Amino acid sequence: MGWVSIGNDRNSTIGVLPDIAATFAALYRSLWTQPHLPAAVLELCRLRLAQLHQCAVELQRRDCDIPADKRSNLAHWNIHSSFSDAERACLAFTEVYAMDTQALTDDQAAAVKLHFGDAGLVLLVEALGILDGMTRLSLLWQLPATIDHPTA
Amino acid sequence: MTGRPRATNSNKATGNMIRDSALGLLPETLGYYMALNRNIWESGPLSPAEIEIARLRNARKVNCVFCKSVRYDIARADGLSEDKVAMIQDDFRDSALSEREKLILAFTDQFLNDPGGLNEALKAELLAVFSANELVHLSMVVAHFSGFSRCAVALGGMPDSLPIMEISLPQ
Repeated sequence: MGWVSIGNDRNSTIGVLPDIAATFAALYRSLWTQPHLPAAVLELCRLRLAQLHQCAVELQRRDCDIPADKRSNLAHWNIHSSFSDAERACLAFTEVYAMDTQALTDDQAAAVKLHFGDAGLVLLVEALGILDGMTRLSLLWQLPATIDHPTA
Repeated sequence: MTGRPRATNSNKATGNMIRDSALGLLPETLGYYMALNRNIWESGPLSPAEIEIARLRNARKVNCVFCKSVRYDIARADGLSEDKVAMIQDDFRDSALSEREKLILAFTDQFLNDPGGLNEALKAELLAVFSANELVHLSMVVAHFSGFSRCAVALGGMPDSLPIMEISLPQ
């Protein structure tokens, strides 16, 4: 159980506010079904955020299936052959976003747009805001990694 | 930061600040995003002035010029004055803000600076003042506006400064 409420995972914690929980869940689901950025690419970015934040709960979560070699080599995405140019562009953007959003460059944004267009870039930015926020809350709420049972 | 927008929404303007932003390129998520935004403001136990205090602290820390310049009319109607807004600074602990308002700022700073490093003293202060529902609401407020501010920063097109603008909740 976290310390803010009786919830022991993300859904049960937010669930004490049903209206907000329902709309958040709908928005979160829509990130994984939209047509602008493949869900598997988004999952790589989500997991990279979790690595950078050292968040065990979010590393344990699986929102979309990805190949095991990509998951295990994610920290070395820039040198590992498993990752495509499109994935590298999004992961490079994600890393700078996580460390200092103001430091993002036009070139990093252009690299994402080269593969996914303007809408793909906007989707990535919108999703990173949500994923980064929820990763921070998992840490702040001190949710236990062994109890949270994420869903894909 | 860059002064040049990195993505543009060329759809016909609607007069709605969120629909007309780059987020308007994503009809698959836009409706859900706006619904969550409304519920963040209208469906939780914190007052509009308390929500605005957290939102403005985040805006200043993330340095979103748009977010810093905005004042929501419902927060002003709830009593949030510019004198109080001026106290949302790094030395807020020494300000004339109420204990509850100071804790909202402390929670926001913890989320932004070191979410994994919450100490027992601040946790005890928060639990003594806020209910569980209020803490969850505050959490969702801060996460939502952090994402929104970072979205604006990441997509560029940010001017160096803007005058204060009062707005209503986008519908």
